[in-house]
Amino acid sequence: MSSDEHYKEIIRKEMAKLKKPVKLKVFTSQRTQADGSKIRECMDCGQFMTLLRIYEENSNGMLTIEEMSIDDNPELVKRYDISRVPTILFIDNEGKEVIRYLAAPQGAEIQPFIQSIFTFAGAPNYYETTIKQNLGRIQPTTIKVMMTETCPYCPQVITIANMFAIASGGKIKTVIIDISANPDIGQYYAAAGVPYTIFNDKKTITGMVGPNEILRALIGGDIHVSY
Amino acid sequence: MFPTDSLGFDPEKTYDIIVLGGGPTAIGCAIYAARFAMDVLIIGKTFGGLIATTHIVENYPGITSVSGPGFVEMFREHMQSLNISFISDEIGSIEKVDDHFVLHSFFQKFKASTICIATGSERKKLGIPGEEEFAGRGVSYCATCDGPFFKDKVVCVIGGSDSAAKEALFLAQNAKKVYIIYRGKEIRAEPINKKRVYENEKIEIIYDTNVAEIKGDNSVKSVIFDNGKEFEVDGLFIDIGSIPNSDLAKRIGVNTNEKGEIIINRKSETNIPGIFAAGDVADAPFKQAITGVAEGVIAAYSAFDHLKQMEIEY
Repeated sequence: MSSDEHYKEIIRKEMAKLKKPVKLKVFTSQRTQADGSKIRECMDCGQFMTLLRIYEENSNGMLTIEEMSIDDNPELVKRYDISRVPTILFIDNEGKEVIRYLAAPQGAEIQPFIQSIFTFAGAPNYYETTIKQNLGRIQPTTIKVMMTETCPYCPQVITIANMFAIASGGKIKTVIIDISANPDIGQYYAAAGVPYTIFNDKKTITGMVGPNEILRALIGGDIHVSY
Repeated sequence: MFPTDSLGFDPEKTYDIIVLGGGPTAIGCAIYAARFAMDVLIIGKTFGGLIATTHIVENYPGITSVSGPGFVEMFREHMQSLNISFISDEIGSIEKVDDHFVLHSFFQKFKASTICIATGSERKKLGIPGEEEFAGRGVSYCATCDGPFFKDKVVCVIGGSDSAAKEALFLAQNAKKVYIIYRGKEIRAEPINKKRVYENEKIEIIYDTNVAEIKGDNSVKSVIFDNGKEFEVDGLFIDIGSIPNSDLAKRIGVNTNEKGEIIINRKSETNIPGIFAAGDVADAPFKQAITGVAEGVIAAYSAFDHLKQMEIEY
């Protein structure tokens, strides 16, 4: 089997796990030229959209990627507060934004992205029971995770944060930020290490954090394992 | 391509073996356990372990050269082909109930007939003023994570091991200058990496020197050597060895040595029947991915043997 065939086989196997329909909104800089053809000015957008379309095509209709040009959709840009491309939005059935990517996930970042799609579509979420049990202790929180493509610990932190957000019924929102593509955001938050996790623009944690530390930051206190 | 995790966990099942960890040792153990038709689950804080932070792996037979993260993804794909699930969680305690173990985390309770502790090790800290204050603001323990922030800047690597040499080589790709600061008279890197360090014009080694303090304002600006000299740097990468993650093992009565490493025999057995250990957390003198994998594989076989002897259906 060629590496291309092997790759497609894994994608098909992966996408077969998607049991419910899921739709993502992806804002890009796609422009229609005078001759009617379309180009994307954002450097990462083209390659990333090609990858997303491969997933979409192999999902038996379960995954829909709704690409929207920021030039052609000013009302939506305003409604969803889009200021960068690409921006990917996971919006739940009630219209609440759960996950925002200011990134075009590549390489190892694909894994948490796809895992988040599955969980968003109803696949088992390991953290769901505990998050729901502790919702009363969790304040509405936006978790920003700053990452770079080469960071080996970032995929793990992103997976946990996104799964927490999906389990929280809208109380937690995540914003995943590639600070190589958005260096001004990294500078604004003075990030000099990744993963860099920020809770409501106040509490910050640099480096690998596990589910216990993230939960501890969310509930503002200690957590205890009942032995 | 990176397959997804954690979709196959069964909270009601008593697993034949639960492997604690997430690095090559844990994955090697789990792969063999799966091939012995044992129900296996891996639970760890992070997938990949310390090797995920390694710039390049060149000493694993069959693989000429691969990045640390690339190496880990090869493990993940192998694991997924055997339907082995990995769960990102931290076990807080383990108790023996009848003929099995119950493992508790804040999120879940797990049951297992045997356990392999492959929790690895974590980077040692210098324990000097400024280290904690500037963590994430110029002080780092992971060059592959934070190296890109120091493009065209001056950084230093503290340590003289092979791992420190590889960190310096990785950093030299982007940094303006890399100083290796080592307390000894000659770095202890593998000869191949030592040669690369010596030949790299961006890398300079400062011998017989310890860092006593880290100074700065919003970020690191300089370090103070133990001879009192102040040395200007923009970043500091600490790689002075590691300490075994054996706290949980100690709490449940597993014997450890003076370094905190779990004492195991040739069968990767600990002093508690049914609990095995392998890799960096155990007391082997030479710690490499491949030796850890070997110990993990032996642990899987010993666990398999244990189940047979205990006449536990697997």
